Amino acid sequence: MADRSDVVGTVAGPGDDPNEFVFVTPSDKSIKTGEFITYTVPVEDEPRSVFARVTNRELIRGLPEGFLADPEVGPETVAATLGVPTDDTELYRLTATVIGYYDTNMTTFANPRQLPDPGTPLSIAPHQQLETVLPNLGCETDSTDVTTLDGVAHIGWLLNRPAEATNLHIPIEEFASTHLAILASTGSGKSYTASVLIEEMMRPSSRASLLVFDPHGEYDTLAEMQGEEAFQGADGYEPSIEYYDPERLRVRISELEIGDVMAILDNPSNRMQERLSTAWRAMQRQESRTWGIDELIAEMERIYGDDDASVGALEWRLRRSIERNDLFHPEDNVPLGEIVDPGQCTVLQMDTLDRWDQQLITTVLLRRMYRERLDDVRDRDSDIEHPIFALFEEGHRFAPASGDAPSLGIMRTITSEGRKFGFGLGIISQRPSKIDQDVLSQCGTQISMQIQNPTDQDAIKNSVEAAGEDVLRELPGLTPGQAVVSGDAMNTPALIQVRRRHTEHGAGSRPVIEEWREAYEERQREPTGSEAADFGEGDSTGVQSLD
Amino acid sequence: MQRSTTRQQYGDEAMTDALADGDSPDLDSCVRIGSIVSSNSHLDYVAEVYKERDCDRPPELHEREFGQPVFIKKTVNGTEHAVMGVIYDTQLVDPDQGRTGPRLAQDDQAQFTPGYIEERTTLAGVALLGTAEIAEDGAIQEPTHQMPRWTLEVEDTVFHCPDQVTVSFHTVDDQIQLAYMDRLLDIAGDLGSEVIVALIDRLRGMLPEDDPNQRVLDVVEQNVQWQAREQRGMV
Ligand SMILES: Nc1ncnc2c1ncn2[C@@H]1O[C@H](COP(=O)(O)OP(=O)(O)OP(=O)(O)O)[C@@H](O)[C@H]1O
Ligand SMILES: [Mg+2]
Repeated sequence: MADRSDVVGTVAGPGDDPNEFVFVTPSDKSIKTGEFITYTVPVEDEPRSVFARVTNRELIRGLPEGFLADPEVGPETVAATLGVPTDDTELYRLTATVIGYYDTNMTTFANPRQLPDPGTPLSIAPHQQLETVLPNLGCETDSTDVTTLDGVAHIGWLLNRPAEATNLHIPIEEFASTHLAILASTGSGKSYTASVLIEEMMRPSSRASLLVFDPHGEYDTLAEMQGEEAFQGADGYEPSIEYYDPERLRVRISELEIGDVMAILDNPSNRMQERLSTAWRAMQRQESRTWGIDELIAEMERIYGDDDASVGALEWRLRRSIERNDLFHPEDNVPLGEIVDPGQCTVLQMDTLDRWDQQLITTVLLRRMYRERLDDVRDRDSDIEHPIFALFEEGHRFAPASGDAPSLGIMRTITSEGRKFGFGLGIISQRPSKIDQDVLSQCGTQISMQIQNPTDQDAIKNSVEAAGEDVLRELPGLTPGQAVVSGDAMNTPALIQVRRRHTEHGAGSRPVIEEWREAYEERQREPTGSEAADFGEGDSTGVQSLD
Repeated sequence: MQRSTTRQQYGDEAMTDALADGDSPDLDSCVRIGSIVSSNSHLDYVAEVYKERDCDRPPELHEREFGQPVFIKKTVNGTEHAVMGVIYDTQLVDPDQGRTGPRLAQDDQAQFTPGYIEERTTLAGVALLGTAEIAEDGAIQEPTHQMPRWTLEVEDTVFHCPDQVTVSFHTVDDQIQLAYMDRLLDIAGDLGSEVIVALIDRLRGMLPEDDPNQRVLDVVEQNVQWQAREQRGMV
């Protein structure tokens, strides 16, 4: 290493942990914690770049704190008075943890099992090298132009570097098949980040088949992708964004399982439960898949007689909870072929449905889709002949730690088995501690953003083994749009700034003041407003002059 | 400090108060405090304070007190310079002290020791702080707090430094400077913090009350005091 111009520091010696070393830098080489640095070691006689992450930084030499005694006198003034040079006095002692060198055969990091010798010069890891080795892209060299790769999602850039300097492209296949969790307090950018990923997945190079379960109506603006040049393929491809409002959301009654029905019925007695189960099973054994409550009650009356008190009570309950709810229908069913298609992102707008209905429609849809995926993989007839990825806002609502949701079972099944069948889930939640631990720990890739609540931080720590302590320590201090990406999609966790969306963000907080003022003006207008029709055209009214 | 073994007589030069005539002090007419008799190191000298017999106008007590800035004139390469210093210690010498009480054999030798101090005298420790050029008009310019490279000579005259010169020496680009501080602390040892505090006190009194440098001096003083207390195990 004759050229030391890019050297930022020098190894001082080993640190406390076996993988840790300590190095010293002067102040002008400002290195932040979380920065990636490299040094060269011979591995089997080949020089290899070993990467390390800076985990701590402390001043070992600098102006005494006594110089700060008077807030109106700057420490550099005191230093100047005493003839102490201020430009390059400071020395920093930094701790770094070895990540490893990039093993091009294993396409991941390998531990050199040896710390750098004292005196080893350290450099800032070059952009392209980090872009190649940080995410799990399977590159065969340690420096590749990753923008040319297919199936990658440009999610943002390293937070410690200037904007767009070291970009992070994560492999879509990894997080889409081994599931994704996006965890953060409210307002930290979960929906924003999810939208960035959706944009990436819908690009011509990926053409994903996506489904978004949107209980808050936060994904209205994705449609802007349609007609945008950036999303158009040379072959005429353009993503299709489909919105399903509750009018189009239907659950065919025969798709419900007995457990689902029990969950929506009001307090059924043991005898009622027993009668309903028997009849429901009988109905499910029938050839017809398009029966309704009438047919079900007829079946119960056939088995138990038409003056059975429990059947009477059940009839009342079934008609109230199922028949009178527009969501359920004897025949109509959301057609799977319509909601999942390659190059299509379907947003299920559930914001006007109550929680039970949201859970039921989700349960039934997931079950049907899972069945189809199973059939496809087992070479049976299937309505869904391609992998799918389903994203859940309010993930804790569909897979709650309390167990209190009919969807939990199928969510667990998909997160543990789905990868074999090309069915990936993305769980978005502001309360990680309220998500079922089995489901959360199966999410192979994690995007964690700002989280203050200690219980939620613990939930992340427990389920997200890939993210080390030093990275998780960052979580409380992040600002909206900053995230730690860890897990299967990464070779090592990284702290990033999520890029800006191409489409408008539709989920920000409401502009409260603006809305108050508008509402007030509306109110002011009302009394005269009702008479406004009487004023001649073009007449300037007193109301307008108020503006 | 070592005891001096030589001394010099001064008689006929006129002594006037340096600041008597106003603006630019005449460095030649400053009060003479004494003359160099020895040194302990390159920056640490010993001067013997003049008495009535040595000159017309010996320094008054307050003119040679602890913390008093002083200068010694040196001509280097044709340019007149002032080597700046400060009195950081004093010591009284009484040759009679050893002669009272029972005498030992060495007593006989006393009268054969040439240059032995025969009368009571005061020695002053002078630590060098830096240098400055002496301009045509007698003012100082280009003050530097770098370590002076030149050595003083035995018998060099140590002058009382007028306030105006003290302020000039401590001002670089309108910014107060005591860049010699660590060296001075080193030389003055136990009295290091005291001599710096004494210097700061003087500077404070010489600067206008609303001078922004006043607050800087406060911070520096606090630091020095605190360090001294720490060293003495008080805090
Ligand atoms: N990558 C980003 N770049 C720029 N701004 C961002 C970014 N991420 C988030 N923001 C800002 O933060 C705001 C909140 O983001 P977002 O709506 O995604 O939060 P959230 O975590 O989904 O909140 P909630 O829990 O309320 O749904 C956005 O309106 C946007 O202004
Ligand atoms: Mg959101």
